[in-house]
Order: sequence, then structure tokens, then C-alpha cells
Amino acid sequence: MRNLYWLYNPTVPSVQLFITCLTNSFFPQTGEAVVEILNRLGVDVDFTPEQTCCGQPQFNAGLRNDARMIAEHTIKVFEKNRGEIVIPSGSCAHHFRHNLLELFADDAAWYPRAEMLGRRVFEFTEYLVDKLGVTDIGAKWEGLLTYHPSCHTLRGLNVDKQPRTLLQNVEGATLVELPNEHECCGFGGIMSVEHPELSAEWLKRKISNLEKTQAPTLVVTDAGCLMHILGGLKRLKKDQKVIHIAEVLNSR
Amino acid sequence: MSNASFRARIRQSIGDKTLQTALDNNSERRLRGKALAFDSIPDWREKRQHAHRIRADVIERLPEYLDRFVVNAQANGIIVHMAKDSKEAIEIAVRISNLGSRKPLVAKSKSMVSEEIGLNHALEKEGIRVVETDLGEYIVQLRHERPSHIITPAVHLKKEQVAQLFHEKLGIPYSEDIPTLTATARKVLREVFLTADIGVSGVNFGVVESGGICIVTNEGNGRMVTTLPKTHIALMGMERLVPNLNDLALMLSLLPRSATGQKITVYTQLIHKPLPGQTRHLIILDNGRNKVRNSPLKESLYCIRCGACLNACPVFRELSGHAYIGRDKTIAPYPGPIGSVISPGLFGKNYFHLAQASSLCGACKDACPVDIDLPKLLTRVRAGYVGEDSGNKKEGGEGLFWTTKLFLKTFTRLATRPRLFALSQKLASLGTHLLSPRSEWVHLPVFTGWGFSKDLPRFAGKTFRDKYRKSGIVNREFMPQTPPAEKPANLQTFQPFDLIDQFTSELTALSGNVSQTSSPTQAIIDCLIPKGIKKIYLQPNVLDETLLRRSGIDFTHEPDPSLTVGVTKAWAGLADTGSVLAADEELHGSLLPEIHIAVLKSGDIFPSLLDAIEMTKGKNAVFITGPSRTADIEMTLTIGVHGPREIHVFVDDSNSG
Repeated sequence: MRNLYWLYNPTVPSVQLFITCLTNSFFPQTGEAVVEILNRLGVDVDFTPEQTCCGQPQFNAGLRNDARMIAEHTIKVFEKNRGEIVIPSGSCAHHFRHNLLELFADDAAWYPRAEMLGRRVFEFTEYLVDKLGVTDIGAKWEGLLTYHPSCHTLRGLNVDKQPRTLLQNVEGATLVELPNEHECCGFGGIMSVEHPELSAEWLKRKISNLEKTQAPTLVVTDAGCLMHILGGLKRLKKDQKVIHIAEVLNSR
Repeated sequence: MSNASFRARIRQSIGDKTLQTALDNNSERRLRGKALAFDSIPDWREKRQHAHRIRADVIERLPEYLDRFVVNAQANGIIVHMAKDSKEAIEIAVRISNLGSRKPLVAKSKSMVSEEIGLNHALEKEGIRVVETDLGEYIVQLRHERPSHIITPAVHLKKEQVAQLFHEKLGIPYSEDIPTLTATARKVLREVFLTADIGVSGVNFGVVESGGICIVTNEGNGRMVTTLPKTHIALMGMERLVPNLNDLALMLSLLPRSATGQKITVYTQLIHKPLPGQTRHLIILDNGRNKVRNSPLKESLYCIRCGACLNACPVFRELSGHAYIGRDKTIAPYPGPIGSVISPGLFGKNYFHLAQASSLCGACKDACPVDIDLPKLLTRVRAGYVGEDSGNKKEGGEGLFWTTKLFLKTFTRLATRPRLFALSQKLASLGTHLLSPRSEWVHLPVFTGWGFSKDLPRFAGKTFRDKYRKSGIVNREFMPQTPPAEKPANLQTFQPFDLIDQFTSELTALSGNVSQTSSPTQAIIDCLIPKGIKKIYLQPNVLDETLLRRSGIDFTHEPDPSLTVGVTKAWAGLADTGSVLAADEELHGSLLPEIHIAVLKSGDIFPSLLDAIEMTKGKNAVFITGPSRTADIEMTLTIGVHGPREIHVFVDDSNSG
């Protein structure tokens, strides 16, 4: 009977994965978790190796011509395929969905192509909850978890209840609130190298808030926050882990 | 590493423990206060979008609105001057202030425009003495500093520093007691108000349709400088218009909530004309605003200067307004996220690098009561899209350190060539494995920026791209769950408020006193006698004067600063804020005495500001909400600054059914 669902549902999901440069290089295991989860949920995942980076660092730095070159490359790559594009990063999804409209605002030829790309893009948890209607994927986890809402997931995409609902339904896990969770962790892409002093202050505050929760594990939706906060914990020789939500959801 | 002196100032601010504590307190209290204040308007999201549309329309049609505003203000008897830059504005102000042989005394209330044009300095050069009268501004003026926040100018100081300052400059015994410090300022500045020749103020909004200006304050100094001196000069940025009084009411529901977490400020003044014997000037300043209006930074002109983005900003929280410096090391007139957009917009390249100090976290956009997309505007400044000529040819990357720029540009080359990109990641992996063969984390040196506070993960030996093999296995056993049905919004059933009850509870919460009575004269006598008060200022035709005399209470109809009590009529009351409306002849009686008594007919209580604001048309009017107050020293609420310390409202229900 269940198989029938796919016969009458015209949206048998087949998605493209945009892995993002940071996940690709630093946290490939996040990408694997994303693929495994989606496959398990009956979603066909395609990965095109021509993809590179979204170009957000260039855009944010004000190097708009550079950002445009990368965006045009990405648009062309994804015009060759169909289906939603799932991204395990709120900030890259935000870049595609919102920044590209700004980037190509005065370009009659590229604007519609950019807009089309933006419409296909979904942050990973947003895709699970809003597109697939999944709120419990049968994950198991032992112990305390706390969640840091990444700025661009929370304020850029307005995606917040999706990751929280998914985490609340993880069997065995207790989700505790991170004090002042809405505060930026201080990554901010190139800001963390342009203004290391500022970045360090916010990182300190984030880590001290994490310690207040007593949770050994901090969950994020963005590889940027992940490498920043975890890098800070490593420098301070602390034991807490920072983990991408896909890996939590993929644990069984 | 955008700008060496800017970074040095950042380090200096971060290293200043006193400053950091002050800024943490500011940010935490303000954010909490703001959230609480917005709880009382559940439809604030719609209001915010509506306010955005109003401001967008004003900026879009600014020349037309400005013309109509000027015509209407002139018809009201206000003398309007247009200044194209700070030099012209200063010349106009100096010309007005020039009283011939005698050098005038200028009493000034807060105005960001005056900071922008450096008015105090210019007037002092002419030998004119200028005294800042907002408590926070007064403190920073005594310290020869610039304000560090557009709403709370002395936010960077602890009470010990203010205590030391007052001890040294005003000769009072050293005291850290904030009410004592406030009372000292009250005493010193009261003298200034009563003797000043000229009052200078800012403007929160100009109202096109009524030709009036609106000024919101808490301490009462704004009312003093606009009503006591013979000459009043108001300074206004040309973009600060709203089309009509209804739109103003909407803005006023958002501005104080965002700025200080108040539903309404203590004094919301609407000034439509000069007082008898007074000359009122309005200087409208361009100073680059027209240029910004025709640039990609146009949206920054929607700003209503509430300071909410400063309080929400993690950068401001580390820096304070004093660290936002230009290449020439001058302090930018406007700090915080909005400042990092408008300082470059108005004054150009000197301040471009400020926009790089942001993680684009979006807390500012979230906080903005008119929904200005500040992160977007910051990226425009970074791209150099500032002037009218900004096109697509600009290289951008304004204020970036050259190594960062080189890195990003190299990265672009790679990111547009997939094979090279994959190869570069292999090389990076090799590189980081060589740097850190045993640990998965690389300890980079401080100069790299990244190594300042954190380790870098090694690039994975096998990237995702290397690992990915399409599995093609699709689990068709999976049955998607139905998405959780959206819970119907918990619609609160409408509860008709008793307006008097609501008025009473709002004003009482602000430490005002409300009594309901059918004979206000007797009730006021009963209130005055135990206090031993023998003489009061009384507005004519408010109380039964024969009864007063018989009870031994003398009165005068002339404003007299030496009297403790002033009794005035309230034209209206506002139930949702506990405000009373005073107009024209009640202005002094409701301001100078320590105790203000207002007589309000119960039938004159309206649900909210929107229902009563039309009554102010053509008048000099003020909505008074509670006793005069300040939180300028360590954000500690102190009652009774320049205006009354006590307010009693007698609600006269004798005529109501």
C-alpha cells in the first residue's frame, strides 16, 4: 500500500545536493549524513561535481564582480538538472535565495535565472520539514543537546522551528536552551580574519553560554559556525563537541 | 585588517573592562525592555511593515513632501531655513544667535544633527556659550567627549566616573548616589533654562500636513528649551518627515518602544507655532542626504534614529560609539549598524571601512522598527555602491586588507573552474596535513586572523566530492508524515476595557497618581493641605477658585518657577499609555513645578494616541506620561530630572452618566 504513495504523488522527490565548500573540505561526514538521511526518506540525491562554492564570501566582502562570476557558474551548473537543491547550510541557502537577487538586480538577463535558482534552494532541515513533512526521522541520541540557531538560518531564512522540531523528536536526547542563543557566534566569514578581536569576543561569549547549559554537544545548521566554535573549543582544550544537525539526525 | 587605527580602537574598547560592563548592561537591558514593550502591541509586525511603507513613500517623494511641509510650517509662523551643508547650517544658527553686543547663552537639548554639523564647537568659536541639558549630553560635554550612543550619550560611563566628574566640575561632595547626581544637574541646569536666550533642539519628526514638528523626550529639557527662551532653533535632517498626524501616531508607537522600551516617552511634544513673544526657527539640513537619496543607500534614510540597532548589534556592544572612527581618526557622527551605512553615505570614503566590521548577523535588521535591510546596505557599502555614480564596474571590497582581497580573488579563479577547485582542495589538505601531521586541528599563528582565538580544522584527506558515489538506493517503504497542522492562533477574545481603569493602571505603573472624583477642587485641596502647600500656579477656569480661597489656598495665574505645585487642565487622556494632553497655556504650569496636578474629565479619555492626536493640530501641545525621568547614568531609572517629580491626575467623573 505504502508504495502507492509514490505512484500518485507527482512530487516523488529527487534532489540536487549543494554540498558547500566548507562541508566538502572540512566536514565531508556531514554531507554523507545528509545523503543517507534523504535516501532513507525515499529521496533520490544527485550530486554534480561541477559545483564549487556559492560565492558568499566574495559577496559579503563587497567583491561583487567576483561573487557574480561564481554565481553565474553555479547557475549554469544547476540549470543542467532539475529538482530542489538541498543545502546543509543556512547561510549558503540564504545567499542563493536572497543575495543573488541583490547581485543581479540590474541585470535583466541573469536576474530571472538567479531567481529560478533561488526558488529551488532549501536549507536541509527546511526541506525535511516543509517539503517532505517529516518531523521525526527515527534518530536516537543519548544525553543533552543544545542548539545554536545560526544567524542566516534564523534571521536570513526564517528557519527556526524546523530544526528544533526535528531535534525535539530525537529519541533519548534532551534539548536544553542555550542562553542568549540568538547571538552571533562571531564567524561571519571573512570578518573572523578581518576583525579577529571582535570575532574572539563573541566566540568567548558563545562558549561561556554553552558551558552554562552543561550540554556536551552543540548542534548547528552551518559548517561556518561549526568550524568557528569547535576551533575555539579546541584552542581552549575543552571537550564539548559541535556537530551538524544532519549527523545528529542520522544517528540511530 | 581594514584600518590600523580603527583596529587599535577596537582593541582599546575590548580591553576596557569598565566600558565592557557598561555596554553589556546597556545591550541586555535594552533588548529586554524592547521585547517587553512590544508585547503590548501584538500586531507590531504589521505596524512595522506599515511604518516601512510610510518612510519609503516619504523618501521617494521627498522634494514634494518637503515643499508642502515648509509652506505649512511657515503658515504656522515658524521661520524655516534650508541648509545645504553643515557650513550653511552653522552660519544660519550663528546669525540667529547673534544678539549684537551681548553674547547669548544657548540651552540645548539632544540633537544628533547638531553633532553631525559640529554646532557646539562652531558656536563656542563665536564666543557663544552652549550648555547641553540632556543629562547624558551634559555629562559628556563636561568631559569634553562626544556622545557614545545616539539615545544614551553617556552609556560608556560608570556612576563612579560621573560622581568624580560632578565633584571636580560642579564642586559638590563626592557622591555615587544617582538621584543626588541627577538632582545636582537639575539645579544647575534649571538656572540655565531660566536665563538662556536661545534654546536649540533636534526634531524627531516633521509633520507635512500640519506643518508641525514632534520632539520626544523623557527628562523635560526638550520642553524647557523649546518654551522658555525667547528664541527657539530646531535642527532637522531633511528626511525626517511623516505625511500626517496619523502616520506620526504610528511612528510614535514604534520609536520609544524601540529606543528605550517605553510605550511612549514621558513628553511627546507637538510644536506647531511660536509661543506668544517667541521666535521659532527651523533649520532643515541636507548635508549629503539628497546624495544618499539618489544612491543605493537610499533605504538608510528611512531611519527614525531609535538606536535599537545599536543595542542589538554585537559589534556596538564591544565598541561603543567612540570607537567608530574614520581614516582621519575622527569619531563618526553616527555609530552602530546604521552609522556604518550613513556615515559612509553622507561623508564618503573616510568611513567605508566601518562597514567591514560586521558579521552580517542580521540582529540590526530584526531590531529595526522600520525594517531597514541593514545587512544588505552594509554589503553595498563594502561593494563601494555609495555615490550616485555607483555602477557595476567598481571592484569593491572597500576597507578590506589587501591579503584578504588577494585570497578572495584567487578563490574566485578556483571556484569558477571545478577541476582546479578540486585540485586546490587536495593541495590544501596536503598543506594542512604537513602543518599538523598528528592533530586534526591546526594551530595557526595570530597574524593569520583565524589563529587569534581558534584552531583550524585540517582539510579532509578525502573531500565529500571524492567520497560521493551515487547509491541510487531509494527506500520506497518510507511514508512521509503529515506535516503538523498549524495550530490556530490563540485568538484572544476581545475584552472591552474600562478606559478609566486602564488609564489608572498605566499611569500608576509609571509612578503617577490617579484619583477619581466628582469634585476635583475639594479632592485637590485635600491633597494640598497635608503637604502644607499654601500657594499654587493655577490655570484659569479649571477649579472652583472661591472654594480654594475659602480653604486657605492662594493661587496665581502667572507661571512662577518658585511655586511647587501647578494645576492644569488636561485636554485628553490616553488609556493605553496613561498620558494626559496639555496644550498652549498649560505648558509652563505642567513643566516648571515639582508637582504637576492635572484635571481630566472622564469623558476625555481616549483609547490611544491615534484617537487624540488630531487635537494637537495647530497647537503647541504635549502628551505627558508620568513624572520626568532619565536613565542616563548606568541605565538606572531616576525620577524627576528637569520636569515635575510627581504627577497627580484627578479624573473628574461628575458629568459622566
